[in-house]
Amino acid sequence: MGTVAAPPPDGPAIEAVDLRKTFGPIHAVDGISVALPPGRVYGLMGPNGSGKTTLIRLLTGLARPTSGQARVLGTPMPSRANLARIGYMTQSDGIYPELSVWENMRFFSALYGVRERAPGLEALRLVELDDRLATPVSQLSGGMRRRLSLACALAHRPPVLFLDEPTVGIDPALRVQFWAHFRALAAGGTTIVLSSHVMDEADRCDELFFMREGRVIAHGSGRELRERAGTEDLEQAFLRFAVETGTGGGES
Amino acid sequence: MNARRALALCRRLVDELRRDHRSLALLFVAPVVLTGLLAFILREQAAPEPRAAVVALDDEGGARLAAAIASSAGDAGLVIVDLGSGADEAAARRAIEDDRIDLAAIIPVEFTADLLAGRAPALRVLTTGVNPPQDAGQMQALQRAIAEASAALAPPGQGVPAVRPTVTRETVYGSPEADFVDTFAPVFIGFFAYFFVFILTGVSFLRERVGGTLERLLATPITRAEIVLGYSLGFGLFATIQVAVVLTWSLGWLAVGALGPLPAFTVGLGVPSAGSPLLAYAITLLLALGAVNLAIFLSTYARTELQIIQFIPIVIVPQGFLAGILFPVDTLPEILQPVSRVLPLTYAVEGLREVMIKGADLASRTVQLDLLVLAGIAVVFVVLAAGTIRREVV
Repeated sequence: MGTVAAPPPDGPAIEAVDLRKTFGPIHAVDGISVALPPGRVYGLMGPNGSGKTTLIRLLTGLARPTSGQARVLGTPMPSRANLARIGYMTQSDGIYPELSVWENMRFFSALYGVRERAPGLEALRLVELDDRLATPVSQLSGGMRRRLSLACALAHRPPVLFLDEPTVGIDPALRVQFWAHFRALAAGGTTIVLSSHVMDEADRCDELFFMREGRVIAHGSGRELRERAGTEDLEQAFLRFAVETGTGGGES
Repeated sequence: MNARRALALCRRLVDELRRDHRSLALLFVAPVVLTGLLAFILREQAAPEPRAAVVALDDEGGARLAAAIASSAGDAGLVIVDLGSGADEAAARRAIEDDRIDLAAIIPVEFTADLLAGRAPALRVLTTGVNPPQDAGQMQALQRAIAEASAALAPPGQGVPAVRPTVTRETVYGSPEADFVDTFAPVFIGFFAYFFVFILTGVSFLRERVGGTLERLLATPITRAEIVLGYSLGFGLFATIQVAVVLTWSLGWLAVGALGPLPAFTVGLGVPSAGSPLLAYAITLLLALGAVNLAIFLSTYARTELQIIQFIPIVIVPQGFLAGILFPVDTLPEILQPVSRVLPLTYAVEGLREVMIKGADLASRTVQLDLLVLAGIAVVFVVLAAGTIRREVV
């Protein structure tokens, strides 16, 4: 594994400088610059197609920007070696249905270079799947699969975690549990970037980025955004910012 | 029973398939192309004239018969190769082994004596024994030349005793009793390994791409080389077991005695193998490695498992026609022969036949070349496969 520069002691965990990604005529990510200090939960909020997943793929180095630069823990992305310090929960579960819970965990642990069983077991305990190690994934409920998918992203105890729509399609009780995990991880110093199109999750994030048509149309804490928009409701706030920035309203 | 519902279902199927241009092409174009290819091969197939040598161990009648065979060879569609004066049976065998001739007639020392004593002289014909149907065709041509020559030596009504030699066939490789199974078993080992490994890998990698696990895999520090190596090792392992099973089954001949009410029976095909099964295994494994990586490469061009299956008529079936499995490569229409020469299966089939039928070992030039080409093709497919696993981080 290559060398990875140590993150600057007080620098941002994640940085984007004028990131752009175009697919033909489509500007999926259209000039985004952010600097995110570590140990907080950041929410990318916006409708489908607003560029959330592309932004995450640029930040993880799975896609190369058309222009601009992304840095994670001080290392420019894409960097294969740096992936060992990043956890990524994809929008689809990305786990193997024929394998058991533990076999999936063992596989992803090995890919991240984790040789001990303990971190994987701990991640499974966190999502309460440690009593189903031998169960084939194909026999798990949708919510359980989502939990396993999260656990597999935690196997190597990454300091930076990207979660693409982590709470889609899971029941409210599980959502509350997930958020408890996210807050606990952030309290332990983990930087979390998650995407969601459900506004009622927004208030649980430390900082929000409203995204529309590949751009950040507003950012700040939920309270700040409400005050600036002069509305009680984040959904209304989003629409106001969308109108102000000329990125249209409607659809979301 | 409601016809509308059935019709709605039918209409949905038509709408779905109408948009799937690849399935449509497969359904209507593939049969035309494939039967066209087969018809072209069958109609234009031209076996080169068999090259024969006649070795007369008898200087009188035998030598005269040899000369007569040589002069009637053209009519029978034979090319006579002169092995030089004093050539004996050993020289003829060597000539077959070196692929200078396809078959040889041996006229025995007792030829004239037998003739004078009124006995039918016994001629022996040496063939390769690699491909029985091909041998039979070549042998027929030689027998026609012998019959014509015998008639020329003893024109009816001139008081010369008729020459009616008996002809027996012997083989340089294998045995004259070898049947289709014996000569096609080596080929099937290669074909099945190629076929199943291709399908297994193709479906498996497609699931990886479509199911979102590839995206996740690429978000870990794994390299493309590691992915390709891992897949090759994994399916190489299954190919190993498959080849072991098929080899054991093909070569085995296990007689099981009567057990209680069960009658005695045998297990296995009892195919003889002249060469090392390990070498046959090495050839098959190289072929399978190529198949793994070809499948990874082609899985990029499929969106569903059905589309992987659709690669069979495109990738597998033409190889069945062109790789020398059914029709020897040098009998194919000339424009198709260069195609055969770039197919991995051609080299595997040739190598497996060299090893299992001719008993060739690593010292054989042909086997060396086959292994080398198979390894080269595998490398090309590895590079192609690695090229389709896209990540910006290499």
